[in-house]
Amino acid sequence: MGRSNDILLAVENLKVHFTGDGPVARAVDGMDFQIHRRETVCIVGESGCGKTVTALAILGLLKQPPAIIADGRITFDGRSLLDMPAAELRALRGKRIAMVFQEPMTSLNPVFPIGDQIGEAVLAHERVSEVAVRRRVNQLLDDVGIVDPQRRLGDYPHQLSGGQRQRVMIAMALACEPDLIIADEPTTALDVTVQAQILGLLKKLKQEKNMAIQYITHDLGVVAAIADQVYVMYAGVVVEQGTTGIIFGNARHPYTVALLNALPTKKKRGRRLYSIPGSVPHPAYRPMGCPFHPRCEYCEPSCQNAFPALCDYGKGHHARCPILFAARGRAEETRA
Amino acid sequence: MATTANPVDRMGTDETHMPPSRSPWAETWHLLCKNRMALTGLVIFLVFFGVAVAGLTVTSGKDPILDPARVRLQEKLRPPFSAPKTDSLRSEELPALGIYILGTDDLGRDVFARMLQGAWVSLTVGFVAVGIAVGIGILLGGISGYYGRQYIQSGHILFWLLLVLAIVLAFQKILSAAAVLLIVAIAGWLWKKRHDRRVSPLPVCLKWIALPTMQVDTLIMRAVDIMLCFPSFFLILTVVALLPPSIYNIMVIIGLTSWMGTTRFVRAEFLSLREQDFVAAARALGISDTRIIFRHIMPNAVAPVLVSATLGIASAMLTEAGLSFLGFGVPPPHATWGNILSDGKAFIFDAPWLTFAPGVAILIVVLAFNLFGEGMRDILNPKLRERN
Amino acid sequence: MLAFMGRSIIQKVVTLFFVSVISFLIIHLAPGEPSQIDPLNPKFTPEMVERMRTEFNLDKPLHVQYMLFYKNLFTGRIVSWRDNQPVLGKIWERFLNSLPLFVVGTILTWTFSFPVGIRSAIMRDGVYDKSATFLAYLLISIPGFFFAYILIILVVTELHVPVIGMETFGVTSASPLVRIMDRTWHLVLPSILGATGGVAVLSRYVRSQMLEIIGQDYVRTAWAKGLSSETVYYKHALRNALLPFVTMFGMILPGLIGGSVIIESIFSWPGMGRMAYEAILGRDYPVILTLNFITAALVLAGTLISDLLYMVVDPRIKL
Ligand SMILES: Nc1ncnc2c1ncn2[C@@H]1O[C@H](COP(=O)(O)OP(=O)(O)OP(=O)(O)O)[C@@H](O)[C@H]1O
Ligand SMILES: [Mg+2]
Repeated sequence: MGRSNDILLAVENLKVHFTGDGPVARAVDGMDFQIHRRETVCIVGESGCGKTVTALAILGLLKQPPAIIADGRITFDGRSLLDMPAAELRALRGKRIAMVFQEPMTSLNPVFPIGDQIGEAVLAHERVSEVAVRRRVNQLLDDVGIVDPQRRLGDYPHQLSGGQRQRVMIAMALACEPDLIIADEPTTALDVTVQAQILGLLKKLKQEKNMAIQYITHDLGVVAAIADQVYVMYAGVVVEQGTTGIIFGNARHPYTVALLNALPTKKKRGRRLYSIPGSVPHPAYRPMGCPFHPRCEYCEPSCQNAFPALCDYGKGHHARCPILFAARGRAEETRA
Repeated sequence: MATTANPVDRMGTDETHMPPSRSPWAETWHLLCKNRMALTGLVIFLVFFGVAVAGLTVTSGKDPILDPARVRLQEKLRPPFSAPKTDSLRSEELPALGIYILGTDDLGRDVFARMLQGAWVSLTVGFVAVGIAVGIGILLGGISGYYGRQYIQSGHILFWLLLVLAIVLAFQKILSAAAVLLIVAIAGWLWKKRHDRRVSPLPVCLKWIALPTMQVDTLIMRAVDIMLCFPSFFLILTVVALLPPSIYNIMVIIGLTSWMGTTRFVRAEFLSLREQDFVAAARALGISDTRIIFRHIMPNAVAPVLVSATLGIASAMLTEAGLSFLGFGVPPPHATWGNILSDGKAFIFDAPWLTFAPGVAILIVVLAFNLFGEGMRDILNPKLRERN
Repeated sequence: MLAFMGRSIIQKVVTLFFVSVISFLIIHLAPGEPSQIDPLNPKFTPEMVERMRTEFNLDKPLHVQYMLFYKNLFTGRIVSWRDNQPVLGKIWERFLNSLPLFVVGTILTWTFSFPVGIRSAIMRDGVYDKSATFLAYLLISIPGFFFAYILIILVVTELHVPVIGMETFGVTSASPLVRIMDRTWHLVLPSILGATGGVAVLSRYVRSQMLEIIGQDYVRTAWAKGLSSETVYYKHALRNALLPFVTMFGMILPGLIGGSVIIESIFSWPGMGRMAYEAILGRDYPVILTLNFITAALVLAGTLISDLLYMVVDPRIKL
């Protein structure tokens, strides 16, 4: 895909480790992905695989220590975020990259009215008058679908429902019309109807404001609904990447396959859902070789020793499983 | 796309790929070893304990090795490490160690011996007082947390009222009336007990006895509120002054006036624990209340109680020293760190060691308790614990 | 709101009633009658003791004594057993003496603990935090009177200023400036001593409160908005961290009457603490009971004020 000049964010070989007592926890362990302008990229993975840590690393919000960025590069719009002076990074946060967090219930400051909290995001980056800020906040609340914004401006977070709070969070993220919004499981804490509304809202806003979205989730259903490009993450690394169509139609990594099998669909109705055996390894005690091998049904002896490389299937589709790659190769040979 | 730059030195060869699970005690010990301040506190505490026990053995008995009460008027206010003047002392008056390690006081008594004797006193005051406070605290807090929802019936109140009235009358020396009230109260109680066992409804005219009035929890918490209204040091001072001077009175009074904190948070602990699944499960299995409390809830509540007890010992020792300083403490001739210091205040410029030896000793020991207690509080804090 | 006020005032009055009963009982049931202060004292002839007993209603039953005592207390007619002076007047006089100590001590406590605690929390585990922590433990652990002596030795031998008492004897004839300096010098040590424990405890508390808040999700949100660290710490975090201290603000009130027995007796400061101490020594029950009653009333008023303040500052609490 010849869009390399269009790349907004590139994360290369990012490694974030947590020190503490005991062995080092490699929460993110060689993460690679790219986000183009106006693209919606989904990062999918089970709980604990390092999605939030990756996002926080991009914004420079990890507390160091205990976190250390052991290796890697993060480039945003041609500039390296990891080497950027603190003041510049701060100017960028909220202005060009904004984040919507996982827990709407606790992510708003309980002692300030929501209007002030949204307005603050504007005032941090732009010199505008009080009146202009007020008008803008009004508009934002209206955009995210809060009825009667004029009146809700002065409300405190505890007076809003979870869905409304997440809308406020999104309004806050939109405040300075950023180029990229990182949405970290914005709907996990909400019930299904609200979830659909928020998704629709994000999709609509993305169209209107020309933003790119990095959408973090563990829900493949959500991915199917909004993603252009999908990165499947396992134990701190990308194990498969490709367009939404490829991932859903032609998955080539056992983990992705297993995730898809676990997805409820119309066809599987009435049957028992598949679930992946075992659990995600603790980041400090990962197995040798392929991190997924203890849970993998295609596991071969070689998987226990060598860390698998990404295998190129063409059209931007990569998967980190040499076994399936070789199997496909053999299948094609025989067909030929 | 960079791909293979991943480490081969991946750790964790065990099969589970999960952190090794340690028992809570091993985990606590591990964290304690990492918290240097808490560990120092623990070590000092153990040393102090040893010194206090050793001090008790060498300074007590009929003919102690180091006699804290031996007066040598010709040797008064000798500075630390000075050798005794052998010519003016009889042989049994010589300090056993050859020199006065911490000097002598205004009566020529060996301060080192007195300090050793005082160490034991400080230790017992701290432990007994806190033992009492924690005992009351656990009892009331536990009742309040576990049975707090139950109602006190008016009959109960009547019973206690009669009892208190009887005691008051007894104090007023109206013994016959007191005895009558006592008998009425106990008889009523027994009657009600028997009645309850028979499960027959009460006669209409006595229905009011079983009338619920107030929750147990409310009662206990109001009692805590009342106790907190008294300025604690002032209260202790008043009571100590009213009672005959004795070291046991001091321990008991400090204990009786400092149980409120423990009560409050044992209650909180019980309240949160009794809502938890394992307790609900135990109750569903029909396990008795006492067993639930002692086998399931107590072990979980005990660690924070110990922390607050440690801090309580520190503050009880300070209180005792303060009382001794004001002249209300342990009566002489028994030495405590507080009264050595208090005796020394008249000679602060001539014999500063009389102030500094006990002052520094109190400081170090109390500091050790505080460091250890606060360190343990951090260690037991689940928020700190989960990221390891 | 009003209902809450009403309920809580009634509750507090009931508590106060029990406090008064209990303190009365403690004092009157304790062994030794007040009239037997000192049997060896030649002033206490049997006739004297008898007169005291009748004068102070000691010959009446306990509940009558209780009623009479608190009736006198509320009508302000209660007098000390020592010198027959009205107790309330005596307390007022001593209160005015203690007031400067209290005010300076409180100001010192609150102005020092907050910056120290906040800085410690922000620089968690750094050198500043570690030393502040250790210093705080040191100050919590040092016996007040021992610390007082160390300071007195330092000040007296190094600076040669007199510090005992409220002012130097005979200074009343000196010029106003000298007198003010003298008063100030006498005020400094006792108020610093009164504040140290408070600073140590409060700064630790501020630190832990602040640490807890800094780890909250909404502080992360504030960072993500690109706010400066000052705004994040001093607006978003501090405002939340301050909430519990509002409760403590009410608790200052009882300190007004308490005074510190130990500090005031070391410095011969004729304040409330010493008055209580002297009253206890002399078994001057009216003074002890009155002081106790006023303190309890202030504690309760303090908690009431705290509750109300809490409602004002925390938008989540609405009644
Ligand atoms: N402050 C921290 N200290 C130590 N380890 C941490 C810390 N924060 C995260 N981790 C570890 O990093 C790993 C990845 O965490 P992360 O929050 O990124 O997971 P996630 O993919 O966002 O999961 P979820 O879907 O539950 O949000 C976890 O295993 C966690 O134990
Ligand atoms: Mg997450």
